[in-house]
Amino acid sequence: MAKARIVERFKTRTIWFHWIHTASFLVLIVTGAILFLPGIGAPAAGGMTRFIHRIAVVIFVAAPVIYSFFNPRMALHFIKETLTWGKADLDWAMAAPLYYFGGAEENMPPQGHVNTGQKMWQFIVIGTGILFLISGFIMWFLKDIVATGLFQWCVIVHDVAFILAFLMLLVHIYLGIIHPRMTESLRSMWDGKISKEYASSHYGKWYDEISASEK
Amino acid sequence: MELTRKDFLKASAGAAGLLLLQPPALAAAKEPQTQEGMAMLVDVTKCVSCWWCYAACKEYNKLPETVRPDPEQPPPLSPIVWTTLKPVKEGNEWHSRKQACNHCTDAACVEVCPTGALSYNKLGFVQYDKEKCSGCGYCAEFCPFGVPQLESNEITGAAVMDKCTFCIDRVTNGEQPACAAACPTGAIKFGKRADLVKEGKERVAVLRKTNTSAMLYGEKELGGLHIMYVLDDSPEVYGLPAEPELPAAATVRDIIQWVGVGAAIAVIAGFGINYIIAREARMTSELPGKEQIKWQKHE
Repeated sequence: MAKARIVERFKTRTIWFHWIHTASFLVLIVTGAILFLPGIGAPAAGGMTRFIHRIAVVIFVAAPVIYSFFNPRMALHFIKETLTWGKADLDWAMAAPLYYFGGAEENMPPQGHVNTGQKMWQFIVIGTGILFLISGFIMWFLKDIVATGLFQWCVIVHDVAFILAFLMLLVHIYLGIIHPRMTESLRSMWDGKISKEYASSHYGKWYDEISASEK
Repeated sequence: MELTRKDFLKASAGAAGLLLLQPPALAAAKEPQTQEGMAMLVDVTKCVSCWWCYAACKEYNKLPETVRPDPEQPPPLSPIVWTTLKPVKEGNEWHSRKQACNHCTDAACVEVCPTGALSYNKLGFVQYDKEKCSGCGYCAEFCPFGVPQLESNEITGAAVMDKCTFCIDRVTNGEQPACAAACPTGAIKFGKRADLVKEGKERVAVLRKTNTSAMLYGEKELGGLHIMYVLDDSPEVYGLPAEPELPAAATVRDIIQWVGVGAAIAVIAGFGINYIIAREARMTSELPGKEQIKWQKHE
């Protein structure tokens, strides 16, 4: 029985932004990982991958800047949402293992537009993004100016940010595409819509809010 | 060189460890450096700052700009200057230290090079395959002596490092490096490292009679340099760090690489377990819609 997917979850511009950001980040991962992981550096010879890395990072930075410029309220909301943590998040964390393994929904507190796990991902994206940008900026533009010790630790900061961001990206991809219960997640990032059932079951608090505002 | 049983076991264990931990390509590239092999002994007390080593290096390696440099403003190391002099005024005398890659036994550049462009040669020096260089500049930033040099494009980042090669083609054919062959005073000597350590110590013992600052630099530093120096003053005077060390960040990097790989494997394994359990649970529990049917079937 197909469920009517009528609840708008993402705007078209948000979807575009998401996939452009994704594509540039995937390029950054590939062109960066070959310098990070031992033994696979051969494709970097000649430096073309660094040039690609630099083009990709321009897109990776420009995309959120442009998006925020044209949608300042949505961007502010996103940041506020990412930085707002409360008891409900703790309750979520306590109930999450049983839910993600066993599907036990009883103890899951109703979630807003994003759930606590997604907020963690947003937090990692913003946090590692800042680490990436500061260390990367120094390595790109200030290489000849800063002390060699600072450069060395910028490499380490870039590495650590990569590990955090990559692991969380794996989780994001797994939950978005593969996890048996997240049936409408990927499609919602394609056409922006989910079913009422999915909305009320996964984002109860948000669904109640939008239902109330429609009345 | 005598190889004792203990050394052999240690080397085998080390090699096995490397093979276990690292992909084969890397294990082959990261042949452990030997403290022995060939070396050069640079004696600052014999150097007359004639710059012949500089000229011979430029000529043999076909590096441009071969004009005689102004001794007051010696050219710094660069992709086209693989050896230069660091002149020091001692009283009324000028002494110079020949400056170039020191070919460390524990070389930070080899540790951090992501592409295997820098590697250890069994003759004892740090060899360099320009074709493999990505121009990342990690070697330049991690070398305790600041030897590797790059000139990079600010926007594209295109760069290729260059440094002293120990005249690999000459040395592997039984000849001296060009600088050592050109030196007219014997300030640069080339030979087996063990012999040069002995010679350096003897020379220092002679100098010590009139100068208590005299010392041999490079015997133990960084596992043993393959360019050692007879100095008549402290290393800092000649632009050498008193206690050069592998930068801590290089070691940290080695560790977090494997932390990252291990964590990724653990996370992916976790997904597998989660998927199996969550899929089973979904089939047996209520979800809005069609899952109800499956639940009944399961009964």
